[in-house]
Amino acid sequence: MSPHTIDQLRGELRALLGSANVLSDRSELVVYECDGFTIEKNQPDLVVFPRSTRQVAGIIRLCRRYRAPVIARGAGTSLAGGCLPLGGGVVLMLTRMKQILEINLRDRFALVEAGVPNIQLGRALAGSGFHFAPDPSSQVACTIGGNVATNAGGPHTLKYGVTGNHVIGLEAVLGDGSTIQLGPVEDPGQLDLIGVLVGSEGTLAVVTKVWVRLTPNAADFRTLRAIFSTVDDATNAVSDIIAAGIIPAAMELMDQGILAAVEEAFHFGFPADAGAIAIIELDGPTSGLAEQETRIVEFCRKWNAREVLQAADAEQRALLWKCRKLAVGAVGRLSPSYCIQDGVVPRTRLPHVLRRIGEISAKHQVRIVNVAHAGDGNVHPILLFDERDARQVQRALAAGKEILDECIACGGSVTAEHGIGVEKIAFMSRLFGPADLEAMGHLRQAFDPEGLLNPGKLFPADGRAAAERTSAVRRAMV
Amino acid sequence: MIQNPSSTELVEPDQPQGVAEVLREAARARTAVFPLGGGSAGSGWRPPQQPGLRLSLAKLNRLVDYPARDLTITVEAGMTVAEVQRQLAANGQRLPVEIPYADRATLGGAVAANSSGPRRYGCGTLRDYLLGLRAVDGCGTEFAAGGRVVKNAAGYDLCKLLIGSWGTLGVITQLTLMVRPALEASVLVACDVSDFRRGEELLCELAGPQFRPVAIELLAGPAWQDDPLLARQSEAAVARLVVGFEAARGEVEGMVGQLTASWQARTGAAPAVVRDDAAAPHWDRLVHGGIPSRTTPPDGDRATNGDAPFLALKVCVKPSAVIAAASELLRMGDGVVIQSHAGNGVIHARLPLRRADDARSVLDRQVRPCVAAAAGKLVVESFPAGLDFSAREVWGSSGDAAAVMCILKQQFDPQGVLNPGRFIFENS
Repeated sequence: MSPHTIDQLRGELRALLGSANVLSDRSELVVYECDGFTIEKNQPDLVVFPRSTRQVAGIIRLCRRYRAPVIARGAGTSLAGGCLPLGGGVVLMLTRMKQILEINLRDRFALVEAGVPNIQLGRALAGSGFHFAPDPSSQVACTIGGNVATNAGGPHTLKYGVTGNHVIGLEAVLGDGSTIQLGPVEDPGQLDLIGVLVGSEGTLAVVTKVWVRLTPNAADFRTLRAIFSTVDDATNAVSDIIAAGIIPAAMELMDQGILAAVEEAFHFGFPADAGAIAIIELDGPTSGLAEQETRIVEFCRKWNAREVLQAADAEQRALLWKCRKLAVGAVGRLSPSYCIQDGVVPRTRLPHVLRRIGEISAKHQVRIVNVAHAGDGNVHPILLFDERDARQVQRALAAGKEILDECIACGGSVTAEHGIGVEKIAFMSRLFGPADLEAMGHLRQAFDPEGLLNPGKLFPADGRAAAERTSAVRRAMV
Repeated sequence: MIQNPSSTELVEPDQPQGVAEVLREAARARTAVFPLGGGSAGSGWRPPQQPGLRLSLAKLNRLVDYPARDLTITVEAGMTVAEVQRQLAANGQRLPVEIPYADRATLGGAVAANSSGPRRYGCGTLRDYLLGLRAVDGCGTEFAAGGRVVKNAAGYDLCKLLIGSWGTLGVITQLTLMVRPALEASVLVACDVSDFRRGEELLCELAGPQFRPVAIELLAGPAWQDDPLLARQSEAAVARLVVGFEAARGEVEGMVGQLTASWQARTGAAPAVVRDDAAAPHWDRLVHGGIPSRTTPPDGDRATNGDAPFLALKVCVKPSAVIAAASELLRMGDGVVIQSHAGNGVIHARLPLRRADDARSVLDRQVRPCVAAAAGKLVVESFPAGLDFSAREVWGSSGDAAAVMCILKQQFDPQGVLNPGRFIFENS
């Protein structure tokens, strides 16, 4: 966009939203130059803070008139560059739309504005006997609108499913500025556009309200911590448990590398020489838990678990989960920069892919530590490097690519829950053929034919935006 | 209008490429194509409105891949649901979505029709299990969507788009599903509902966090009377409430004990409880409905099997509106039959008509206002033979989704050859 166009658009946006809700100063824009994926950065031209669906629609109509890209953004915790303002444009912040509009326990749903943080809904539901099931590690910050955009998961998706399994209605603004409401009654006798919008990374519509399904809290828990000498033993135990038809609420894995960081941060008391630990949680009525627990302990013992301990009380359980959820953040103690990857393989391939990640780490001389939603076959290798050293950055990128190649070779996918964003766009044409991508393109045509919404993301056929990218984007130290 | 679909030509390719060839040729010649699974769902909804090809998927029925330890399965779309379940059962697994007439219904057809049953409350519907698919669009182009892993955020989720699209956007040729371990324990608990206020109290309790039933069924009307568990025991009762629990033995028995105690205290009578093998025939009855001809037998014409004329309706409301809507529907005549998946807000109703010609006036004067008052949605699942209902009358308005749906139809099937008239696209 030319400076003149930006000025004009800014004037109109200020008239619509008030001056305080439109940022254009470069020192203020710097905050919005990237999300949790920090390898590429670019400043937007403007940042706007609507407070209502009507204002969102007004912003989109104005941007359409000025042909300014609209990049919807929640808390900016996404890890694949989903809200990177590739070619500039207007970042549409949903963080001031954070009202919980209705909690309806009889009908088991909550209606929230898109900017409501995941944790805020959790707190509002405290004591109700219900919760919103998706629990990404970023849940203290991330918004429910962002969860919808990326189809976010978390540890407990193993039993309870991802965001898409818990959204029963949406209000959204399309690329032409029109507002649609879908749901919340089930089976409305039309196409499942809710299912299509979940996970579309802000490229089809800007979601403004979400009807989420509420899940009853479990009456009781058994949270186990199994310590293994090797990663191989741990992954084999996980694989056997699933194959035996036991689906716990969560089955998480942390390897020795990440345990060291976690131990330093939280002093949980993990043995320093443990090769890996698995956190396995069972939930449900007390009456059913003991038997499942016995079977799980047997599988852990079969694979040489040195110790299988049950969290003694709610406090210990909370601490175990804190260790797991804050593990990635603790990596900051190990390295000045890191990149968390997101790959997924058929569950039985988990032992193989973690072995390969070890080999790839050695080959590229990049230190890699691992957390994994092991029960789902979803690995999160964390690549450690120093972004001030261009060679290290290159090696980390190469290692990341090779890991994802391995996931594809195993019959898996390059993202289970973080999304494609910009980071993985080059992989789309390897996962999908031209006809598959063309079919996806039909959705773009139907929702946002002018390509106004988050161009250049998720979907590689957007040739124009991709071409602009090399010149407009500053790549960190590459 | 063609009353008997068999007057159209039948093609039966045994390879996905054959499906693509049929559709390429049909698009060129602008011949209508009516995809055909087992013919067990929806044949009664709206018969083909023009001549064309019946494209049977029956010969695309192979198992493609079943890595049982991953709890996923990939099959061709023409495999029957019963065969899929047999393969799974041999490995101690199952697909917990109930498809009526499973020995005829194909998995592709079930996905196209988004079939489901009572267990949808606890187990979800096909959208919660479908991981990937292959399909052919209206131009004869094959495309794939999703993958074979249980979590996948790569690209748009075209699986969701094709579920419930009634063969109007593409012909599904192959599917990958996530499956579940086989059941350990299955229990049905049933009690009479003495009046509707009490009914709502019982449903409220079940909606609370302490129970995790897989099915909550509210049943009323004469069609259930031949089933000793599902029939109301007292003439004075307005309905029967049947709750299903399925999980590990200890978990199930714990909840059953709690619920029977609570119901005993509330109603003064011990509820009926049946377990496992004894419960199986009643589950089967719930899956196939007390509403004959809601799903018509494969080659039968709709609503002409000697019955008096009737309307079969699906009314979808919020769960808290089920009791009010169901009681109003029951007031519309003596022989009204209700089966509500009450936890989901889904009500199937069969309304007898004095004369077939009354169908429109009953809908417009009684049913539609009742559904509108509950902010619900109405789909007419079956209407008397001899009447011609428009797609709009069958499906209702798509509301806000209409414009996007029309463009999608145009994109996936520009020549309009796929199942014309079967589903609501308001520009067609």
